[in-house]
Amino acid sequence: MSFKSVQDVQNRMEQTGYIPSQEICTIVFLAQETQKPILIEGPAGVGKTELAKSIAACLGQEMIRLQCYEGLDESKALYEWAYAKQLLYTQMLKEKINDVISTTASLAEAVDEIAEHEDAFFSDRFLQTRPLLAAISSIDPVVLLIDEIDKSDPEFEAFLLELLSDFQVTIPELGTIVAKSQPFVVLTSNNYRDMSDALKRRCIHLYIDYPTIETEKEILRMKIPGIQERLLGKIIATVAKIRELDLKKKPCISETLDWARSLMILQQDDITEDAIFKTLNTLCKHKADYGVVRENIAHLVKG
Amino acid sequence: MVNVILKFVSCCRAAEMRISTAEVLDCLRQLEIVDPCDERQFNTVLGANFAKSRREQGEFDRLYRLFFHGMQTKVPWDGDLPEDALTQKPEVPDAMLDKMAQLIRQVRDQEGSEDSNKRKGNELDQALMDFLAGNPLAFIQEVQKIQNRDEQATQFFKSNLGQLSSRLEIMLRINRLKTKMVQFLGSHDAFIEPWAESDVTFLKERVTSQLTKALDFLNTEPRLDNAGQKETGTRELHYKSVGEIPFSNLTPKETQAVKEIIDRLVRKLEEITSRRFSGANRGMVDVKKTIQRSVKYLGVPLEIVHKSRTPRKGKIVTLCDVSGSVWSSARFMLNILYSLQTCFSRVKSYVFIERPFDVTSFFMSNEPNEAIQKILNDPRINYNARTDYGMAFQQFRDDHLRELDKKTTLIIIGDARSNYLNSREPLLEKMRDRCRRLIWLNPEQKKFWGTGDSEMMRYQDHCNEARACGNLNQLIDFIEALVL
Repeated sequence: MSFKSVQDVQNRMEQTGYIPSQEICTIVFLAQETQKPILIEGPAGVGKTELAKSIAACLGQEMIRLQCYEGLDESKALYEWAYAKQLLYTQMLKEKINDVISTTASLAEAVDEIAEHEDAFFSDRFLQTRPLLAAISSIDPVVLLIDEIDKSDPEFEAFLLELLSDFQVTIPELGTIVAKSQPFVVLTSNNYRDMSDALKRRCIHLYIDYPTIETEKEILRMKIPGIQERLLGKIIATVAKIRELDLKKKPCISETLDWARSLMILQQDDITEDAIFKTLNTLCKHKADYGVVRENIAHLVKG
Repeated sequence: MVNVILKFVSCCRAAEMRISTAEVLDCLRQLEIVDPCDERQFNTVLGANFAKSRREQGEFDRLYRLFFHGMQTKVPWDGDLPEDALTQKPEVPDAMLDKMAQLIRQVRDQEGSEDSNKRKGNELDQALMDFLAGNPLAFIQEVQKIQNRDEQATQFFKSNLGQLSSRLEIMLRINRLKTKMVQFLGSHDAFIEPWAESDVTFLKERVTSQLTKALDFLNTEPRLDNAGQKETGTRELHYKSVGEIPFSNLTPKETQAVKEIIDRLVRKLEEITSRRFSGANRGMVDVKKTIQRSVKYLGVPLEIVHKSRTPRKGKIVTLCDVSGSVWSSARFMLNILYSLQTCFSRVKSYVFIERPFDVTSFFMSNEPNEAIQKILNDPRINYNARTDYGMAFQQFRDDHLRELDKKTTLIIIGDARSNYLNSREPLLEKMRDRCRRLIWLNPEQKKFWGTGDSEMMRYQDHCNEARACGNLNQLIDFIEALVL
């Protein structure tokens, strides 16, 4: 069921456990109304992928995800012929093929005869669909998440342009496949490199930043019901302090959640030096970062 | 409504934001969907369509504030939007705006008769008066012109006075106009029917406040919010003692040790990359070979052969400051890049002090260390010149921009100390737009960035990644991130 207004977006997203800002709601609503893709930028771990999942949950649609990486090409993203299967079938059907051409007089006629049956080998049976084709050929509308588009190569980006503007692809052997229902497209980028102007122009741009202290509290309250208010405040304050340190990887929301959960499991009701040491693995993902947190432990616990 | 948006768009374009007609159309269409009277939604729609990356957001916000909050004009509404959609709390009543327009007309007439021969100054005055009348377009254009002006390439005498003096001229013009307007208002007899005292005071204040805004706009350049930029802070200590010594302080013995470590590292990295490519290069099915192999199994294609893909490698272009302190670390950098040539499809390098000079051929025909020696002794590079990043970028743009494409990583090695000459950071932006990534390596540690004549803070906003790279440990971190 589609969104009715900006307010409707907010209400329904909160029901799925995602707390969106006013800006996010407006953009999501616009994207739905204008059928344009959303290009989300922002640091790692602020909930870019989560937003797409939440949209899918709200709309009651399936989410198809394409993870981009360097070297990703059409055969991994769109479709590929199952060559091995095709070859095996030709072998097994050898005699049948002989039957088909047994009545022909010349070689040219035999070729023509086989050409008429070519479709049997280039049909859906031998087509391996990959995420993009799956999203386009799906009868029910889906949410298509193209994750970390900045990791892909410029060639793939150009190919994607064509797909995003017309929602159709051409497979030489089968012809043009037009989307049966237009998917809701979400692209995410970590700003590893700048996307081309052409791609940006086709998308609605959205930047998501680290959440404010209040929003983060709300998220924790929602995800970990029964967390004590006092502990919650301390967790958020400590994480905010840790983010200020010079770390290789700053803890994001999901790490805050993991940390809060492990503190709950260990039944810690206050944040002491000892508690931080015990649970540091959930917050810091680099050896060097441990050292930095250890050096500043007194400052973290204080106040 | 359409007119207001179009005016705003032309202002954005004057400030060199790229906004296409399609985006304007999208924006207008989207404004029909949301509630444009809610400023948050209005702002979001405009921002989502016009500021296409986090970097542009700052510039967009600045223009948005100036245009929708700083200027106030009578908005001719077409369509059924409520009259007060944008100007909910009108600061200035419409009658006053009329009077302001009248005032500007009168001053303009007087100006025209006085100095019609001074063309240049006149344009500027016109722009300022447009600004007062609520149309900042011409003024933004003038300001942008200053930022983009190319300096004459001079051999001996360098200064940053070109930009400064143009700025100063505008400031003086603003002040002159302010005085003039206030004086004009003082002499009531200029008008056929004299205005009320309160009106005159109001207009005086308005003129002053608007011109102050113009002055602010000229003087505050937006700091870009480059939140997507990769930050690298603390790093692992690969080598305890020799790894932490700044390259510029190495003794000959330590230099030798560093070189040995680099050699080992190069071998290790080559091994890792070759292993990785051999695993990942399975491409399309090679029909010819598959059929050939199937002969062994009575024509059953049991063994499927894939075409191997040539490894995808990036092109690297380095632009290297070779003045004093930087060179000591740049030489290690170049050494390692050229030792790792097999990992990249092409490495091209330029060195510069005030103008870029192609040194790729030195590295092609010599061992990296010999090449570095030869570059240092090359008479064509003027080692006595003063470092000038702005000029180096300008010349790089003019002569070598074609070297950059979407598969190229541009690495700039330098301390960004430009002797207080014009920094020309918009050029850096142009270069970034042409290449895949722009990485800046600074041999100075982060705490010194932006001190003295260092323009690092301005430059780093335009880079995809900025790192301090002044000792072996930092160099190893960078190379591993680049190659792996």
